[in-house]
Amino acid sequence: MQIDFKTPQRQSITGIVVMFAETLQGVIRAMWAPLLIILFKLEPEKYILVGLSFLGIIILVGIVAFLKYRNFTFFLDEEKQEFVLSKGILNKSKINIQLSKIQQVNINQSIIQKIIGVYSLDIDTAGTDKKEISIRAIDQNLALLLKERLLDYGEKEEMLLDENQEVIPKEENIAKPFIKISYVTLFKVGITSKYGRTIAILITFLVTLFQTFKDAVDTFELDETQVDSVFEKGFGMISVVIIIFGILILVLFINIIRTFIKHFDFEMVRQKKSLVVTSGLFAKKNTLLNPFKVQITSFSQNFFQRKLRILDMNMKQASNDEVNEKQKKSNVIEVPGCESGERDAILKLILGKIPEKGQEFKPNFRYLLFKILFSVIFPILIFIVLSFTVIDDLYFYLPLVFVYLALVGFMIFYGFKNYRMYSNSEFIILKHGAWDVENEIIQPHKIQGITTKQYFWNKSADVGHLTLHTAAGDVHFHFGNFSEIKLLVNYWLYQVETSNENWM
Amino acid sequence: MENFTNDTLNINSLPKFEEVNFSSLHKNYIKVVSINIAITLLIVAIGIGVLLYFDEELQSTTSYLIFGISYSVFALLVLFLSLAGVKRRGFAVREKDILYKRGLLSSTTTIIPFNRIQHVAMHEGFFSRMFDLAQIQIFTAGGGDVKISGIEKEKAENIKGLLMQKIQNEL
Repeated sequence: MQIDFKTPQRQSITGIVVMFAETLQGVIRAMWAPLLIILFKLEPEKYILVGLSFLGIIILVGIVAFLKYRNFTFFLDEEKQEFVLSKGILNKSKINIQLSKIQQVNINQSIIQKIIGVYSLDIDTAGTDKKEISIRAIDQNLALLLKERLLDYGEKEEMLLDENQEVIPKEENIAKPFIKISYVTLFKVGITSKYGRTIAILITFLVTLFQTFKDAVDTFELDETQVDSVFEKGFGMISVVIIIFGILILVLFINIIRTFIKHFDFEMVRQKKSLVVTSGLFAKKNTLLNPFKVQITSFSQNFFQRKLRILDMNMKQASNDEVNEKQKKSNVIEVPGCESGERDAILKLILGKIPEKGQEFKPNFRYLLFKILFSVIFPILIFIVLSFTVIDDLYFYLPLVFVYLALVGFMIFYGFKNYRMYSNSEFIILKHGAWDVENEIIQPHKIQGITTKQYFWNKSADVGHLTLHTAAGDVHFHFGNFSEIKLLVNYWLYQVETSNENWM
Repeated sequence: MENFTNDTLNINSLPKFEEVNFSSLHKNYIKVVSINIAITLLIVAIGIGVLLYFDEELQSTTSYLIFGISYSVFALLVLFLSLAGVKRRGFAVREKDILYKRGLLSSTTTIIPFNRIQHVAMHEGFFSRMFDLAQIQIFTAGGGDVKISGIEKEKAENIKGLLMQKIQNEL
């Protein structure tokens, strides 16, 4: 079969059916509420009217489907090595994709497509908006052929990559672990990290438990006063202390168990240029870490961890592995509880050297003002207003207010103290966090785009915000000296635009 | 390491993104935005009208006045803020990157180097087409995707062509 994609062509003619079904689906999804109301409140004499309007909608959807089909064309521009797709009825779009940027071509079939025997062809680039490039109805031969053509271009590169990728673990070939996390370390990690998350889980659990308990009380018609009095008797000062203590122990206990389940037998094996990470108690997870694909490397440490000499590391990879959506989350590879020596070894492997902290940039004191405004002044204003209007004995909670103030004050102060950016010609390091102090390391050539922001009331103070867009997420530096930020931005742009290094 | 000292010396003489002359959007784009907002406001107004029509408790001169005045104030505010926002938008194409500036209370600038662009799309809204305007959307692998509306269609085509050509030359 001699088919070329050089001239613009439409989808399979049966594609109208797919368009129709999809448009109808959209209409129903948008209008199901009013539709239901109309159907339920319908008076018999209006049957014809409603029937006619439904028919009208169906016809309209049909016309829309036809126009969608008619206006949807695609072709391959061999000269420019582009795939060009045009679509839209009232709002028209034209999308050009450089063939070399195509990472994946997926051929799928939904139920409707199965019935009429067509396929959809989705094209993935590293770009963020996935739905943009999708041919909804194309027959199988054509789809396969087009897929082949689209991927043709990248073949050479892919072959090269394949050679590198022979590092995928072979059982007999497993080398000595590069890093191995011992049970003692896991225990240390368990008692020092992620309190917040565990407390959140615990609260949800307790709320559910309480709800169930209440239901039980209601169902069995237990005497509520009895239960209440049991509560009251037991609620002395000592028991409060015991309860808090118990909760603390419980949080630590859960933390340890969670850490063990997730990171049991954590091993990092070095294979040529990549790392193979295995861990897990019940389900052993196997991840391949390619240093080139890591976009953001970070390590964090809190007070206790510093005393125990352990730290957590995170490697964020580019999220282009959209083979299935689930993999998106596992794009962060975590190394729990490594020592500073191990951290340096990993950093060396991923970044080529141990990053030095370059020139230091501090946030303006407005950072403090901003935080104080939102986490001290606003809540306290609300508290005061409430205590004057709605609730009378709010003063009873006054001690709690002081506890809150102390906690927030601590967080704000240390948050401000730890908020720093360091930059030299090879690395950008962002340090932040009040309790868990995190250092995020980015290489300038991994930057995808830069955004600067300045509110007009910060103009005279020369204060502004910076966002670095990377393929593994955004990184911010707020309330910096805007002149310095601008200088840095120009410098990074220069680096990105002159570098030949691949960001992935 | 030798390069490093070179770079630090040069840092002040690098091209400055903040001194670039931004071209603002086509003046007809104001009309497009006005039409779009007017239609949205009209639909909301009709919705409120239907509500008033069905709820008899609300059918009094005072409630008409309250709804009418507050909605007009709201509508004018929305229109004014949107148009002021449009006037603050601008873009610039340099040799090696594209810049987009916007923001009413703030001045936000996003810069995308050509060698980080994944692909480019051009959109033409219904009303934009009547004024021969188009929107360019630039996709990167990071979160900083940029949409620039209200460019003359021919110019938009040119910019898109230029971007595609730059992407190709990268290889």
